[in-house]
Formats: sequence, structure tokens, C-alpha cells
Amino acid sequence: MASEVVATGQVAGHHALPAQIDADVVARELVATTMGASRRFKAIAWTLGILSIAGIVALVLKWIDQSDDSTRWGYVAALVTFLLSVTGGAPMVAMAPVFAKANWVRPVTRIAAMFSFAGVVTVIMLIPLVALLPPLVTEGARRRTIWFEAPDYSPHFWSTLGLVLLLFTGLALFYSAAIPDFASMRDHSTGWRQRWGKKLARGWVGTNAQWRTLRMRIGMFGTFYFLILVFVNFLITTDFGQSLVPGWRDAIFPMYHTISSLQAGVAGVVVALWAARRYMHLEKYVHVDAFWSLGRLLFALTLLWVYFFYSSFIVFWWGRSATDIATLDLLIKGPMMYVFIAGMLLIWFVPWWILIWNKVRRSVNGMAIGAAVILVGVLLDRIRIFVPAWSVPSDQIHERWLTKIPGTVYPDLFDILIMAGGISLAVLIIMLMTRVIPVLSVWQVQEFNLLAKPIKYMRGHATLIAKPD
Amino acid sequence: MQQRRPLDQVYTNRKLLNGQLDTPRWWLPTVSILGVLVLIGIGVIAIMVNKGLGVTGLSRPVFWGLFITTFVFWVGISHAGIMISAILRLTQAEWRRPVTRAAELLTVFSLLTALVFPLIHAGRPWRIAYWITPYDLGRGIYPNIRSPLIWDPVAIGTYLTGSTLFLYVALLPDLGNLRDRTTGWRNSLYTVLALGWRGNPRQWKLQTVGGILLSALMLPIFVSVHSIVSWDFAVVPAVEGWHSTIFAPYFVIGAIHSGVSAVVTMMALMRWLWKWDDFIRPEHFDALARLLIVVATAWLGFTFLELIFAVYGQDAPEIALREMQMFQWPWNMLFIIFLLCAYLIPVPMWLFKRVRTNIALMFWTSILVNIGMWLERFLIIVPGLSRRTPFVYVWDSYRPSAVEWTILIWSFCWVTFLMLLFSKFFPLVPLFEQKESQVFTDDVMIGRARVPAIIREAD
Amino acid sequence: MSTRSMLGLFQEPEPAADAMDGLKEAGFELGSFDVLTGVPYPEGAFGEHVPQHRLFRFPVFGAIIGFTLAIFLTAVTQLAYPVVTGGKPILSLFAMLIIMYEMTMLAAVISSVVGIIFESRLPNMKPGIYDPRITEGWIGVVVTFDDDSRIADAESVFNKAGALEIKHAS
Repeated sequence: MASEVVATGQVAGHHALPAQIDADVVARELVATTMGASRRFKAIAWTLGILSIAGIVALVLKWIDQSDDSTRWGYVAALVTFLLSVTGGAPMVAMAPVFAKANWVRPVTRIAAMFSFAGVVTVIMLIPLVALLPPLVTEGARRRTIWFEAPDYSPHFWSTLGLVLLLFTGLALFYSAAIPDFASMRDHSTGWRQRWGKKLARGWVGTNAQWRTLRMRIGMFGTFYFLILVFVNFLITTDFGQSLVPGWRDAIFPMYHTISSLQAGVAGVVVALWAARRYMHLEKYVHVDAFWSLGRLLFALTLLWVYFFYSSFIVFWWGRSATDIATLDLLIKGPMMYVFIAGMLLIWFVPWWILIWNKVRRSVNGMAIGAAVILVGVLLDRIRIFVPAWSVPSDQIHERWLTKIPGTVYPDLFDILIMAGGISLAVLIIMLMTRVIPVLSVWQVQEFNLLAKPIKYMRGHATLIAKPD
Repeated sequence: MQQRRPLDQVYTNRKLLNGQLDTPRWWLPTVSILGVLVLIGIGVIAIMVNKGLGVTGLSRPVFWGLFITTFVFWVGISHAGIMISAILRLTQAEWRRPVTRAAELLTVFSLLTALVFPLIHAGRPWRIAYWITPYDLGRGIYPNIRSPLIWDPVAIGTYLTGSTLFLYVALLPDLGNLRDRTTGWRNSLYTVLALGWRGNPRQWKLQTVGGILLSALMLPIFVSVHSIVSWDFAVVPAVEGWHSTIFAPYFVIGAIHSGVSAVVTMMALMRWLWKWDDFIRPEHFDALARLLIVVATAWLGFTFLELIFAVYGQDAPEIALREMQMFQWPWNMLFIIFLLCAYLIPVPMWLFKRVRTNIALMFWTSILVNIGMWLERFLIIVPGLSRRTPFVYVWDSYRPSAVEWTILIWSFCWVTFLMLLFSKFFPLVPLFEQKESQVFTDDVMIGRARVPAIIREAD
Repeated sequence: MSTRSMLGLFQEPEPAADAMDGLKEAGFELGSFDVLTGVPYPEGAFGEHVPQHRLFRFPVFGAIIGFTLAIFLTAVTQLAYPVVTGGKPILSLFAMLIIMYEMTMLAAVISSVVGIIFESRLPNMKPGIYDPRITEGWIGVVVTFDDDSRIADAESVFNKAGALEIKHAS
């Protein structure tokens, strides 16, 4: 069946692809978005910067004031795991075209990979927590841990290393996919951007061999990244959560954390994409199609969250052994019950009812609302898990199960400043990155245009998507 | 991306309906032999029901043995259908097309077979009627819905009903096709079954939209079924090795691993038996093997988590169990075979494209996976029960009896028998999906390169 | 005056689409002609009237019915035979939820299948004019009308578009 490509922009139907844009126009326009900054951008950046500094100062002060009491550090742990979830999960979206060969995601990958930079905040915030981890062996007795016979510094060293490795793999993934765009910067911008573009493009001219290596690198780093992400989630959630609570033995918890990390990551990408599209006027390049596809992904992940949650919950609820009951009493019915309920509503119930509608997933704003709700939900979920986990006094760590459920720990001023500062710093880093490199990957937008074409199919309209190997 | 090979519709009809319109020479002898074996199996089951469960190797404290293992195994196989048909439909994977029908069919027949096992395992199967259904209102005794053993039949019943209906709906266009190709009583049969299918745009649209809707509905059921089966074990704190929160997704991913492998086995057989080289092509095996690498690796990750959190608790009985499971004869031998078959042999082989596109190798490796996955269930269920525990005064290991082995073999004959019987009346490869893939694919020229492309409706 | 229908048969989709265009131009009503194919074509490929459906209402109704039944079944039977097992409450919500979930989904699937069949306007045991070659790749364009005088119009449209065969039925 022959199909004829419709001339630019003549397609009827509300869901068809918009007009095709010439490759050089794409390069020029997208590179131009990095230059200069609006007043609003500057105002937001300054506010976030001040909040970030306040947050870091608060972290130092908290260390000076409360470094002898680990039970006060739950909110910092919740912040670390929240940021790990969002910044660690988001770059997974960047790998989708490699693994699923999905075309819609190509324009979205850059912004997803940018989240890696914000992972720096996770590493900073982890430093005091590492120092506060209880020792593996006290008075000759080894506490429950995944570091069975390992030396005493194991969780401290390996967990940190894991997180740093995740950060660097994320950056490597970002960089390897960004080389052609640095070349675009070299060719289409001026000043320091051009100089840096030239340096970072490393002689990219787009030969066949260079493209082949590029694809191979993305595939390789993508695979590594995913494996490391799962592993880091396993390390961080057990070392900084599960192993601090006597009797909490929850094999699914690392996977639960990974799934909600992916959920938070995709939600983060949706919100960032929404902001970039709206405030950088990228409507031409970021199509509703991308939101529609991200929406389905987010919806599936939202359902997976409740599945993983229930899989764990029902085992404790039904089992009713002393450890089962203690675990539920601490994490669900206990000090953070209301936060748990709010988190459950926002991470699952509300987004489920928002995202189930085709109309919402086919809209830009609707998707942004759904994603924002999820982000808040994930934050609350991390708070309800890690604050109670850290609030268990470390002298109880060797008991078989928790006999005395600690009371609710409310955030103090430091915690509030640290949380606001940490999140601000992460957002600020992503915002500043948009000044360094186009927020949409130039070459992938070009590739998208090359591979997907609106066609006229006999009397109807369709999209022809090429699927090269 | 697969190569596009234009196939004439008349040719497609002739080739894919070769099982219905004429009978392959091997069909009757094979079905007859299988039929005899099935009858023998049913006879053995009858003897067991008559004599009681004493003819099996089940004894205190191991009351769940080969039957429950095989039950879990067949429920696992049943996850092939929806994995291929629903997930790949929703993700619009083109290569699913020749496989969907056979995979759905495998779901239906393996579920039917799985159901037999708890039933006969009950010893007095008829009593199950009032054990699981709220009937006999006069007695005022109702099922205990707090028991996972009640959740099980509800979930499996839902999955079986749903899959059967799904299969039927997707069969409608092909029933219309068969109606057009047959005469006599068969024509009358297909006319009734096709419900008057004509192939107008409304019917096609509903076929497409309905397929997506049913996929979306079946998917959560599919996940729930093996999760609920896993809760038969996982919720019980009394047996070491069972009370783990990871069991639900662990069972589901294991089920996908074994189910998709079973689909590979079946595809190879279909290609050889019905000579469907044009339709079931090496690139389909390639795609399935790639999927399997991911699934198997995820499964291995879950296995790792399951093991590590079992010893993590540092409870002496749990550690003793794991030691027995992995290091004591004969469990250690089974454990090694299990790991080799389920992962260590097949997955590294699949990393090579030459293996992935070699149908004979794919056939044998996929069989290995299912041997491994059967052993996995056996190693979860039996050691936990047979470990010597305090306050148990009778203690013995478990050796399955000849009756149990016969019934296990019967189940494989039974599923194959049903599949072959089905193939006499209905096409195993969906003809309309096959033809649809011809309509919805095209080549585009990008520069000088001819690149395969797919056509998406602008919906 | 009786209802008549005609079927024009084409070997290729393009002339069939021409015939559909021709019928539209010849003034046949929008719902009175249809295209029959052995393969699903992209929507609107023949310029046909895109069918509307209400399939998505079916699973919703099904789910509501299933959920209600499940509440009844789980709650009422447990209250009618209140035996405490495993130290769990008589009305154990988290166990009931599992059964409610399955029954809701079951009813949603059944009603969807009913919906698919109903919205496809099946079963239709008198499907009308048809040709078995349609499932061999031929395209049929079927037109229905009351007025005998329109036979010639339809025939000329079919012939002009290059129909290989024209079938009549009344």
C-alpha cells in the first residue's frame, strides 16, 4: 500500500502531528532558548537560590545542634529518599527510546536526563545521615543488615559509593546523549556557549561511526543506569530505613521504593516538561502526544504502586505475628497515620481518578496537575516511612521486634528549611541547566521529525512512523 | 524491526487454515495417542479419588507436594496469554500478531488444567462445592472469605472466564473467514459462532477498541491471579520460607518467565507441525527472546531479594531452612538444576542473536526454563514443610508416588490434547491480525535507505 | 416498495474508496452504504462514516454491579455465619477487598464483551448481502435503498469505480 506524505501542516484531525519543521530551524530555535533569561526566570532563580542557601545553612546548624540524636533526622532521610526517587527515576524516561523504540519520547529525553544533575543534592544531604548510621556491631552483637559479615564501615562506604555512582552514570548518560547538541551549540551560538560547545562536542561532525558509537553509548549507560538505580534503591532503603527498625523485614520494600521512584521520576518529567513548554514557548516541539504517552506510563505506575503496597501490606495484616503487627503499628497505624492516609490519597487514589480519563491524559495542564499531585504524594509517602523509621532509638535495634512504638516526630524549623532548601536547590540546578544546553534534545527532535510523518492514507489521515533498527 | 514480506490474503487463508480445511497427516495418530494417555490419567485420578490420598506420597508434615507445585506451575504458564496479548497489544508491539491467539489459548487450557489439581488434591473433590461457593442456604454455613484458599478460586475463575471471552471476541473475524471457506455442517457451526460477522467498519472498530479495552481490563486481573496464588503461601507466618512480602510480584514475574517460554516452545512446534514458516519467523523468536532476557533478569533480581531478606532477619529457623534448601541433599541438587535451567543456561545463550534466531535452540532453551520454573515452585513449597521443626512428632521427607507422577504427566498430555483438538476447528494464528499487519506496515525512504515503518491511526 | 441492497466487489481498496465517494456524490444517504473488508483498515480510509459507539459505558455499569454484588456476598455471608478465624475481624476489609476486586473486574469484563458484541450490532443472523471473497482480500461496498429507481444510479457508480462484480438482493 503506497502512502503519500502530506505536505507540511495540512493535516486535519485534532490529534495529528503538527507541521514538520526544517532541521536547521529546529537547531537554531532550540539553541536560542538557552540564551538570555526573562525577568521572571531570574526572580525565580534568585528565590530558589536564597532558599537553597538557607537550607544548607540549616543543615549545618542542625548538625551542630542535633548530631547526637539520630531520632531527629527522619525528615532529612525522607528528603534524601524523595530526591533520590525523583532525580533517580526521571532519567529512566530518557532510555525509553532505546529500549522500546518509542518515537514520542525523543523530544522528552533531554529534560529527563537533566534531572541527573539535581542528584548532587541527594549526595550532599546524605553526608550527615551516613555519619549518623548506627554501627553494625555493638557489644559484639551484629544488627540486622544486608552486610552480613562485612567490615564495620560497609553501609557507610558502599551506600555512598552507590549513590555517587548513580550520579556519575546519570551524568555520563546525559553527556553521551548531549554531544550532538554541543555541536549544535558550537555551530549556532556565540560567546562562552560556543566555546564550551566546541570543547564538549569533541569534534562531533555526525559521521556514521560517531552516530553508531553514540547509540551504543546511550544503550550501554542506559542499561547500567537502570541496574545501578535498582541497586541503589535497594541499598539506601535498607540501610537508611529497614535496618534501623527491629523486626521490619520487608523483601518487597526496595522494589516498592523503585517503583514509586519511577513514578515520581515520570511525574517530575511531566511537570518540568509542562513548565518548559509553557514558559519557554516550546508548543511547537512538545506535542500533546508526549503528554498522552507519559500519561499512560504514569497511570500504569500509579496502579503498580498500589499493587506493591498491597502485596506487602496484606502479608503483614494477615500474618499477625509480633513482627508483623509491630511493623504495621510503626509504619501505617502509628505516629504517621494521617500522613500515610494523605500520601496514599495523593500518590494513588487522586491521580488514579485524574489520569484514568482520556481527556486528561490528552491535555497538557491536566497531566501537569496529576503529576504534581503525585510528587506531593511521594514526598508524604517518604515522610511516613522514613521519619518513623529514624525515630526508633538505636538502643532498640537488637530487639526481635519493636515493643515500644515511638511517638510522632514533628518537623522543626531546621527540617522545614532543609526540605525547602533541598527541593529548591534541585529545581534551581535543573533551571540553570536549561541555560547551558537546549532543554529539548535538538538531534532527537530532528530525528523525531524525520521518522514520524503525517500521511494521507487513502481517504483518511494517519501517521507513518519509521522503525529503523 | 521485522522485515516486511507482502503475503497474499488467499495464500494467508490457505496456509493458516490448513489445520481446519484439511487434516495434516500426523494429526489423527498424535491426537489418538494423546487421547489414550489422557484416559489413562483420568483413570489414575479416579483410582486416587476412590482409594483416597493415601496413594500419594503426601504425609505429615508435607501435605502440599507435587499437586500444588503443578497447580502453581500451570497457573504460571497461564500468564503467557495476557502478557503477549494484552501487554504487547497496549504497547503496540507489531511482532505480537502471530502469537496472540496461541498464547491466549494456552492461558485458557493451562488454567483449566491448573484448576484440576487443588480439586483432586482435596481428596473428596465434590466437597469443594460448598467449601468455596455460598450455596446450600439452608445450612447457613458460608465460605471463609478471610482465607486465601477462597481468594484463589475467585481470582482464577475471573481470569479463566475473562480469558475465554477475550479469546472468543478476538476469534470472531476468523470465524467469519472459516464460515466463508466451509460447507455443510461445519459451515452451519461457524455461521452460528461468527454471529453474522461481515467486516464493516463498525465491527472492525469495535474489534480494535474492544481489544484494547479488554486488554486493559485483563491486565490487572492477570497481575492479581498469581499474586493471590502466592498469598496461599506468603501470608502464613508459620512456615519458614513462605512469609515474605515479595512473593506476589516474585510469583508474577516468574509466571511471565515460564509463560512466555512456553509460548516460545509452542511457537516452534506450530512452525514445524503446520509449516508456518512464512508467519512464525525467526524475528519473532528474536523479539520474544529479548523480552525473555529482561523478564528473566528481573525475575533473578526478585529471587535475590527474596533470598537476601530471608536471611536478613537472622532468625535461626529461617536460616536453617535456607541451608537445607540450598546445601543439603537432595535439595541442593534440585536447587542447582533449578538455577541452571531457569537462568544460567538459557539467558547467556539468548544474548547471542544466532541463538535467538535459531528455532531449535530456542525450543530447547524454553523447555529448560520451564523445567527450572517447575523446580522453583517445588523448592518453595516442599522444603519449608518438610524441615524438622519443634513440636512435630511425625517427621518425614516427601517422595512423590507413581500416582502423582502419572497425574503430572497427564496434565501435559491433557493440555497438548486440548490444543490439538482446538486446532482442528479454529485457527491458531489469528488471520485477521496477520493480514492487518500487512495493511499497517509500509516502507519509507529516508535518503537512500528503505526503512520499515508502521502506520498509526490519527485517533 | 421493498428494501433492496447491492454489493459491488473490488479487488483493490482504492477503487472501493472511489465507489464510496461516488455513492456519496450520487446522493445516497450517509448511513445507507458501507464497506466490507476482510482486514481492518485505518479509520476513515474509505471515506466512510466513522461509527460512534458507547462501549466504555458497559464496563462501568458492569463494575458497579459486580462491586455491589461483591459487597453483598462478602459482608452478608460473613455476618450470617460469624466464625472468627485467624484472629481477624468478622468483616475483614482487606480480605473482602480482594474478592470485591475480582468480582468487580469479572463483571466489568463480562459486560465489556456484551458491549463489544452489542455495539458491533451482533449477533445478526440475517446479515444480508455478502460475498465470501471479502475474507480473501476483496473489498465489498454495500448500499441499501428503498427506491427501485436508484438501482441504475448505484450500478453506474460501481461500474465507474471499476467493480469486478455487482450483486443484488432484495
